[in-house]
Amino acid sequence: MKRRRFCETLAGTGFLLGTGAAGALTRVWNFEDTANLSHVEARYYKKHPDREIECLLCPRLCKLGDKERGYCGVRQNDGGTYYTLVYGKACSANVDPIEKKPFFHFLPGTDAFSIATAGCNLNCKFCQNWQISQVRPEQVPHFDLPPAEVAAAAERNKCRSIAYTYTEPTVFFEYMYDSAVEARRKGLRNCVVTAGHIQPEPLQDLLKVVDAAKIDLKAFRQDFYKEYVRGDLQPVLESIRTVSQSKVWLEIVYLVIPTLNDREEDIRSMCRWMAKEVGRDIPLHFTRFQPMYLVKNLPPTPISTLESLRDIAIEEGMHYVYVGNVPGHSAENTYCPRCRNMVIERFGMQVKAVAMNKGACRSCQYPIPGIWA
Amino acid sequence: MNRSKVVVIKGKGVLGAGGDMDRVKIAEMLSLGFRHLTGARETGEGLARLFARGDRIGIKVNTIGGRKISTRPELSLSLAELLIKNGQPDRNIVIWDRTNRELREAGYSLSDRPNGLKVFATDTAGAGYETEIIAHRNIGSLFSTIQTNFVTASISLAILKDHGLAGVTAGMKNYFGAIHNPNKYHDSHCDPFIAELFESKPIKDKHRLTLLDALVVQYHRGPSYHTQWAERSGALIFSLDPVAADAVGWRLIETLRSRKGLPSLKEEDREPVYLGTAEKLGLGRAGSDSIEVIEDEI
Repeated sequence: MKRRRFCETLAGTGFLLGTGAAGALTRVWNFEDTANLSHVEARYYKKHPDREIECLLCPRLCKLGDKERGYCGVRQNDGGTYYTLVYGKACSANVDPIEKKPFFHFLPGTDAFSIATAGCNLNCKFCQNWQISQVRPEQVPHFDLPPAEVAAAAERNKCRSIAYTYTEPTVFFEYMYDSAVEARRKGLRNCVVTAGHIQPEPLQDLLKVVDAAKIDLKAFRQDFYKEYVRGDLQPVLESIRTVSQSKVWLEIVYLVIPTLNDREEDIRSMCRWMAKEVGRDIPLHFTRFQPMYLVKNLPPTPISTLESLRDIAIEEGMHYVYVGNVPGHSAENTYCPRCRNMVIERFGMQVKAVAMNKGACRSCQYPIPGIWA
Repeated sequence: MNRSKVVVIKGKGVLGAGGDMDRVKIAEMLSLGFRHLTGARETGEGLARLFARGDRIGIKVNTIGGRKISTRPELSLSLAELLIKNGQPDRNIVIWDRTNRELREAGYSLSDRPNGLKVFATDTAGAGYETEIIAHRNIGSLFSTIQTNFVTASISLAILKDHGLAGVTAGMKNYFGAIHNPNKYHDSHCDPFIAELFESKPIKDKHRLTLLDALVVQYHRGPSYHTQWAERSGALIFSLDPVAADAVGWRLIETLRSRKGLPSLKEEDREPVYLGTAEKLGLGRAGSDSIEVIEDEI
């Protein structure tokens, strides 16, 4: 049914209310044809009798009957075979500074070719990208961008890396994995921006093809994960531990939401856990929340809260603690833990100056951990 | 306390050997059901008690299961015809679901005639979802504009099925097809999500009637179709109480399961707990003692 025909239909029946056809039609959400979705067999699932399947990609372990989709909305059981609907179907592709992810110790000052498909295996009430993460792939415009083309586009745009980001790359695992393999063939790096809500087996496989991972730790309390994230904390902690034990570079982001996850004792516990389990050198970013999606009743995070939490993390021995989403803040910069001199100066997503030599502080030669070239 | 009325009409021979349906018999079943439900002597009089002349009536069907286990087009169209025959303008009736593809696969012919009965889905160009999230308790969703903009009186014409997660999918869960993100509401046996979605303003304020297609009931391994566990029950279930309708549907499924030697849903740890939540929210009654079941047969 064509749009014009539909308008005529509604006009003829008086279905359109209020401001009339034009007014009503500006309030709708557009669709892609479901026939344009991919139909590539998914990895990490188990077949059960009677055309049922069990998804083994994320800790939800969705059990699905025929024709049903997983919690992520982008993987579907068709006749007892599980398919990804978003393989090569990007809804976003941009050239971003790597600092936007944010990665502060991974190829600073370079661009990352950044891609996403629709979908997410969580449902954070404060999602900052819900228009693409909390929808089904047919509910958002997308375009064909197969893995080989992702790598080629990155190269054309002089990007040093490909970032799998914006939504939750776990749900487009197959697309991410194959794109990462293509990227490596071209000598490009790969980085993943994830909530870490993934099963150990796919994570281990992913770590073979990526170079850096930024994991969003949403809180350090299970009750917060249950109520506000619709997921579980423990698998995320396991993912953080697994990445830290691999050769993949790791950074942690903690979005600070006023009154919901900003308790001093929780931050202290989290930092103690990090110091013990993953080390004091893992960069930790406290980023500023903006009211969005289902949490619109809270103000943006006060900068004083971010500063106070940063102080706590430093007190607990974390070496690289940043404040994010506050352009121009001094805690956007990297400081040498030994001599306290600034080694990377930033403004927002821009690197202004680097005072490092071969990965070490130029002043005192203290090695600063990261992937610098 | 008055009990909620649920009407179960069985149609002997309504289903032919090849799965074809006797449209005349379906129409008779509908008429009889409405008379029992409303207490009216005439079908038209009964329907007039449910729907005003100016209503735009949305018949929300469930077509995710394909031709064999979706709300049957023969039933939906018979219902629409009955409404039209009794004075509702055909242009004010829409049979709808979430996607045109699913409607077609379930056997529906799409129609957008300006002055006729309409059959189309939310993904029709020009329809779509609202762009603003409606939040209600644990629900945060974009609602179909068919439900929010077009429909003033809603009929949940759902297929009755066993459901691996919710236990039962019937009239209340049918409204999962009115929002953009039903996949987010299948945790914890879909509870409290089914009840809370129903309680949201765009649904609760417009819902008038639950009518369950129990002509063929998938009583095990639903929601997809499996011949060996599909019973030709030949029944339709009517109620103005959405919770009571689903509760009676659930008991029908349990009866079939018991008859076939299958464990109950409770024994399989997938009892439809959403019914209890819905009752607590005041949406209707779930307990047998609170429901008056009227059975009749054609």
